[in-house]
Amino acid sequence: MNDKLLVSPAPHLHDRTNVSMVMWNVILALTPALVMATYFWGIKALMLTLLGAVTAVVTEAAVQKFRKVPISVADGSAFLTGMLLSFNIHANSPWWLPVVGSVFAIVVGKQVFGGLGNNPVNPALLGRAFLLASWPTLVTNGWIPTRSGSINGINPDLIGTNLQTIAPKAYELITSATPLKVAQTIRDTSFVSSLTGSATENATLASNIFNSLFDMGTLKAMFWGNIGGCIGEVSVFALLLGAAYLLYKNIIEWRIPLFYIGTVFALSFLFGGITGSRYSVMLPFFHIFGGGLMLGAFFMATDYTTSPITKRGRIIFAIGCGVLTIVIRLVGGYPEGVSYSILFMNVMTPLIDRLTMPKAFGEVKK
Amino acid sequence: MMYYLKLGVILLIFCAVAAGVLAYVNGLTTPIISERKAKEAIETREALIPNSTFEEKTAADSSYKYFVALDKTTKEVNGYTFVASKNGYSGKVETMVGLDKDFKVIDVKIITQSETPGLGANCVKDSFKAMFKGLGVENLMVDKDDKDNGKIIAMAGATITSRAIANSVHEQILVLQKELGQNDGGGK
Amino acid sequence: MRFVSELSKGIVKENPIFVLVLGMCPTLAVSTSVTNAIGMGMAATFVLICSNIIISMIKNVTPVKIRIPIYVVVIASFVTIVDMVMAAYVPALHKSLGLFIPLIVVNCIILGRAEAFANKNNVLNSLADAIGMGAGFTLSLVIVATIREILGAGTWLNISVMPKTYDPMLVAILAPGAFITLGFLMALINMLKERK
Repeated sequence: MNDKLLVSPAPHLHDRTNVSMVMWNVILALTPALVMATYFWGIKALMLTLLGAVTAVVTEAAVQKFRKVPISVADGSAFLTGMLLSFNIHANSPWWLPVVGSVFAIVVGKQVFGGLGNNPVNPALLGRAFLLASWPTLVTNGWIPTRSGSINGINPDLIGTNLQTIAPKAYELITSATPLKVAQTIRDTSFVSSLTGSATENATLASNIFNSLFDMGTLKAMFWGNIGGCIGEVSVFALLLGAAYLLYKNIIEWRIPLFYIGTVFALSFLFGGITGSRYSVMLPFFHIFGGGLMLGAFFMATDYTTSPITKRGRIIFAIGCGVLTIVIRLVGGYPEGVSYSILFMNVMTPLIDRLTMPKAFGEVKK
Repeated sequence: MMYYLKLGVILLIFCAVAAGVLAYVNGLTTPIISERKAKEAIETREALIPNSTFEEKTAADSSYKYFVALDKTTKEVNGYTFVASKNGYSGKVETMVGLDKDFKVIDVKIITQSETPGLGANCVKDSFKAMFKGLGVENLMVDKDDKDNGKIIAMAGATITSRAIANSVHEQILVLQKELGQNDGGGK
Repeated sequence: MRFVSELSKGIVKENPIFVLVLGMCPTLAVSTSVTNAIGMGMAATFVLICSNIIISMIKNVTPVKIRIPIYVVVIASFVTIVDMVMAAYVPALHKSLGLFIPLIVVNCIILGRAEAFANKNNVLNSLADAIGMGAGFTLSLVIVATIREILGAGTWLNISVMPKTYDPMLVAILAPGAFITLGFLMALINMLKERK
């Protein structure tokens, strides 16, 4: 049982694991994703990540000095927060974005509540939510293609050159957006009506674009990370590699990622298609590979402090995250909903724990 | 029993005094307020279509009101004003529109909005409103929705607000054109 | 010198916002710009002064059991008067504050001072209390609004104060910014108090 490493209801066993070892192992597990990001976007992705991480460490040390408590930045938790925050912005961001975000994440997300273990929500995600609320255009616009020129992962031949001639605006929208944004755009009915062909031509064209989203080439691009997106989220391959290591070391447990990803998969299978199109069968892969789900499910929803400690609670937590993610993606205004859904379920965690806490033997129901 | 009656009477006296004072102040201020509001509405209309007198009209199905502007000297129709509204990002956005007699926009004024400060709320700025000037109904769309005809460039981070305003004006002009077509050329 | 001490306590020692934590609704809603903060502060202060005076005057004829309904009637009347008079004579100010004036009715500072002070003290001291509390309220609003307006819009009293390259931090003028700013200011004041 891997639960012996976590805060859990009785019985309690002791082993040599400590916070510092957990944190540095998670950082190690995130390194492949960083390597892939650096490969796809160049040195800037690496610099932004380090900038965020170092800022977080410096901020934590400064606040702890101010609070007159022992300085504990060597445990790696601040480094990890800064790194995750930078993983949640895109490689075209200005240099000050991860700096401001990290300061906010550490000060308001963590130290205000008393530091490690006392934060109600994931500090890195709170930092991202803060950046998104403060500079929405900087965070949601300005995606840049990878070095091999791909931003949505779609092979241009698949969309067809006829799109460029009959609906240049639609072509521009499709070719300048990340995969999730493309999915959102073509679900929008005004997009289909803006195509200038006849009704049937439009429907075929929309279906073609939709179809190209889950072409093998697109799926491959998403799996390796050759798509536009936030620094740390694009390479599913690298994230799975890191996740496998953490699962092997019993640092994270399988329930939250499995149920989270499973819920998103099932719901996008059922509701993710365009209205009236039969091409929704493969879309679930697109939803679990195309955005921040892998990063969120394995590395952020599993945070010890902010997720439930009971097994049943974790399953409820993960399904809640999945439902919210799909609701935001399909119904809400933003193309991506992983960060908000995890933040929301973080806040629900104490309630879930209370509801699912096992009764001690012999305890009488009041 | 008598005690509670006494309490009720005391409360009644207080309420009566308060009501009396309020009624007095209300009588004092109501004419000023309504006069000011009427004047404001006229000023807004005059700012949209200068040198005109306005005639209020109700649509045939009495679902909305609009004004026909008559030139002060020639007494000929030189435009229309009306209020267009649609839900934006966080609530209703109401726009007062001034049209010339060919249904081209002379100017617009955002009269009610509660959009996000710094994003959608920028719709009250001149840089956004200026884009509407001189446009006909066919161009009153956000460029994102219709690349070829849409002449309203959506505000950064506020596509929904931009779209709500452009579409509400677009739709209301169509409604008005239909209405005036039915009325045989309108207020001549 | 009771008058002076009643006057000054509202500004720091018993500051209605940072210490008594009263009147949060208008504080969070109106502190998006310094102009609004000043307008709201003045309007609330006016109502507070009037209601404190009246309530202190009628304290001997108000039965204990129905004192709260009576206070509410008095306060609501003054708010309505302010609303109507402003709409008639200072329409520009009424336009920017219009939505918030009815909020004064539910501003706990006013009912709170009526209950905690005016119904136990004479007219002169109640007046001093109202002025002090009103000033403390206005001052606190202006401080919160200053931080939010500078960070969130790059301006102060609508005058540009930040360098051209500054990209306003929008969250500061949104609702979360109000809570965060207020939280940090309260923490700062508590810290300064503990140092003493």
